[in-house]
Amino acid sequence: MKKPLWRLAGLVTIVAAVAVASAVGATAHSSKSSAMKAGGTLNVGWEASFGFTDNMDPTGEYLGDAFGILNNLLVRTLVGYTHDAGGPGNAVVADIATTVPKPTNGGKTYTFHIKPGVKFGPPVSRQVTSADFVTAMNREANPKDGAEYAFYYKPIKGWDAYAAGKAKSISGISTPNSSTIVFNLTAATGDFLKRMAMPAAGPMPSEVTKCFEGQPGKYATNLVSTAGYMIKGSDAVDISSCAKVKAASGYDGQTIIDLVRNPDYAQSTDPTRKNYVDEVRFMVNASNVDIYNKIEAGQLDMATSSIPPAVLKKYATSSSLKQYFHQNSGDRTWYITMNLTQAPFDDIHVRKAMNYIIDKDALRQGWGGPTVGDIANHVVPDAMFGNQLATYAPYKSAGNHGDVKKAMAAMKGSKYSTGGSGMCDAAACKNVLLVSDTRGVDPGMVATIEQDAKKIGITFKVRQINGAYPTIQTPSKNIPIAERPGWGKDYADALTFFTPLFDGRTIIANGNTNYSLVGVTPAQCKSLKIGGNCVGVPSVDSQLDKCSVLIEPTRTTCYENLDKNLMTNVVPWVPWMWSKVTRITSSNVTHYQFDQFATTPAYAMISVKG
Amino acid sequence: MSTVVDAVSRGGAIATRSAWRLFWERLREDKAALGALFVIALLTFIAFFGGPIASSITGHPNTEQYQQVMQDSFGLPKGPTSAFWFGSDGEARDLFVRTMYGTRTSLIVGVIATGIAVFIGLIVGLVAGYFRGFIDTMLSRTGDVMLAMPQLLISIGIVAACNSNKNGCLFGLIQPGLPLVICVIVIFSWPYIARLVRGFTLSIREKEFVEASRSLGASDARIIFNEILPNLSGPIIVYTTLLVPQSILFEAALSYLGLGVPPDTASWGGLLNDAQRYYDTAWWLMLFPGLFLVITTLAFNLLGDGLRDALDVRAER
Repeated sequence: MKKPLWRLAGLVTIVAAVAVASAVGATAHSSKSSAMKAGGTLNVGWEASFGFTDNMDPTGEYLGDAFGILNNLLVRTLVGYTHDAGGPGNAVVADIATTVPKPTNGGKTYTFHIKPGVKFGPPVSRQVTSADFVTAMNREANPKDGAEYAFYYKPIKGWDAYAAGKAKSISGISTPNSSTIVFNLTAATGDFLKRMAMPAAGPMPSEVTKCFEGQPGKYATNLVSTAGYMIKGSDAVDISSCAKVKAASGYDGQTIIDLVRNPDYAQSTDPTRKNYVDEVRFMVNASNVDIYNKIEAGQLDMATSSIPPAVLKKYATSSSLKQYFHQNSGDRTWYITMNLTQAPFDDIHVRKAMNYIIDKDALRQGWGGPTVGDIANHVVPDAMFGNQLATYAPYKSAGNHGDVKKAMAAMKGSKYSTGGSGMCDAAACKNVLLVSDTRGVDPGMVATIEQDAKKIGITFKVRQINGAYPTIQTPSKNIPIAERPGWGKDYADALTFFTPLFDGRTIIANGNTNYSLVGVTPAQCKSLKIGGNCVGVPSVDSQLDKCSVLIEPTRTTCYENLDKNLMTNVVPWVPWMWSKVTRITSSNVTHYQFDQFATTPAYAMISVKG
Repeated sequence: MSTVVDAVSRGGAIATRSAWRLFWERLREDKAALGALFVIALLTFIAFFGGPIASSITGHPNTEQYQQVMQDSFGLPKGPTSAFWFGSDGEARDLFVRTMYGTRTSLIVGVIATGIAVFIGLIVGLVAGYFRGFIDTMLSRTGDVMLAMPQLLISIGIVAACNSNKNGCLFGLIQPGLPLVICVIVIFSWPYIARLVRGFTLSIREKEFVEASRSLGASDARIIFNEILPNLSGPIIVYTTLLVPQSILFEAALSYLGLGVPPDTASWGGLLNDAQRYYDTAWWLMLFPGLFLVITTLAFNLLGDGLRDALDVRAER
């Protein structure tokens, strides 16, 4: 008997549907099981040198890439972030504290309660207490311990007196009991919680830090973790006396940072970090070409490195490789810094001329072209101002290639330009020291800057320094100009672009970030042994103070005006790019996430194949 | 060298050939050495005039960048064209012009650094090998210490000391740039020469002709310069010609540390260093400077062999 055709068709359809459903289910199952898998080692290549500003000591470390390591893997703070991309990644959440406190006393008092079960890892292995935060704050306030952003904590009562050695403790910090800490401020500070989320505010055990008092950066190789990982070998460190303390084997300060799971860490106390991998290794490699070859071969999983243009092009244009190509908003400005105390950049006309003459598009080309970022026209990335300054470009030129005529017109008013020639023809314009680094991109940048500046009569003597930041951050070295710097926000507030970079009161002898020395006084120059012309250096301190106490929406408007003032009346920089953060991962990485606070990969949220 | 007396078949007059003529006649027979000499002469001409001539012909100055013409949208350099004969380098400059200018830098570094290293090594090796005893011990151990030193770390230290300010270090005696590169190469090269010279000197000082000179009352200086040194000429010349291209390559290695010549100064080593970033997309970056380096290395080696044969009176002809 013949079976009806429709029955056969139905049977085939059902069988096919079951087969498809099984395949989809299997795929979905395997996708779900292969993404965010626990275990394995995350291997990260690092170009040229770590370039840390303070050896990764949380007290003084100010490199953005270091924040990614510290905040994700080693240092918990009272409040922190979700290690996510975009707006959610900038929202403050509770970390060691039980909740995010609301300020009292007119916004001047913050009370934190510490979660039970949050412990230091080896070799300390005990509950974190309120006293440990006092230790951290004391180190931050002590000028001898190398802090580079202590100015953020000045609003704490008694901070200045302690820093000056006039008090034995910071009076504004009190610890009613071992699980409570109270901060009393001199004035309401709207972004205080964000300041407390920075690595320097994380707890530190005094039984270890006492061995490194007055030795900036030395604590780093014995950093005691409160997060999911610890420096390998920390459990073998003997802290019974300072003489016996030896550096943990997993961090040699130069070539490798090897982090393994912290046995004293309780995941249940930490909703913000997933800690998928068992080990994270950061390894220095002199060649960024080699780094990306290794990523492609699976020997490395990602990198902190400039990306060779050939690699960038391959991943950005290949349909099969695009899944490994990740881009996020960088909240970062790359710039050429000019020292306002050093000739010829002590003359605003010269600084304006430099802004007109530099071919910003050429600089960006060396980094990989428009794919890697947007041309910068002022200090703060447009995204941080909600694009309200998107049309503000005071030194714009056709195609961003520089404008010789405008540059020469700007130069005409300079004391270094004789007879109104529009060229910088004084002796001070020749063989000006230009400090550069040794990254793959630096030779091209230097060539562009030299070529452009020559058009207005400025010639350079170039010094390439491997890991140039410590040199640039020492004001007494009197570096006139440097092309190395970039600045990413400390947290999502424009204040973090202005205070560290342009507040004259933040200038320090080592680890200084106000490279241009905006607002420096003759007295500071004398005490910091800064040479050059320190008289009449423009300052924006009063405008900074005015903006910092405001709340939205006037706060952003105030900072926008400050940005314009800097670009028009001070001109300390030639900003040239707002970079995106581009990362390329290997096929080992099953889940990639971006940390918007640190603008680095969210190492605590990345998983690899086992 | 000794003179040779030839008996002339007719007339009975005997003509002598000077040592230099003898040397020249020997060298002339070695076509490879002559060819190498010509190449080196050509390279010397290029070192002096090649860069400006190349700039003039192409219309492209040495340091001028041409991003809009010679880079794609990802900043990758473009290859040879009718206007850019060797293509562009990683910074969008004319590679042909840079290679010509690089000849000057590379030969200066190679020749001067080698010359100074050989001079120092020769003196040290001669003195150590001839006088032996305490002097030999002191000089040889000094050389051993230099050889045992981690060259990379010392170079980084020199960079840190000399590069962070405009005036260099040692009160301006060591200036960043070419002088510093030459200085670093000399520091790490002279011990090899000294060891070689010392070994030969120890051997030669025991020869009969040295003993004969001594017995005739010759001073130590006379023995060193008149008896020992001429017999060292062969190995010294050969080693010197090997050292020149090594010095050029050392300069390239120093570029990785930021201790090389300034970025705007063209050198073959710097160009090859730049090429490694684009080895899979820009073959011309490695080919042209590499070719010049190979030709230079070969020329010096062949010339060295020819000179050795021409200078060595005991060589089979």
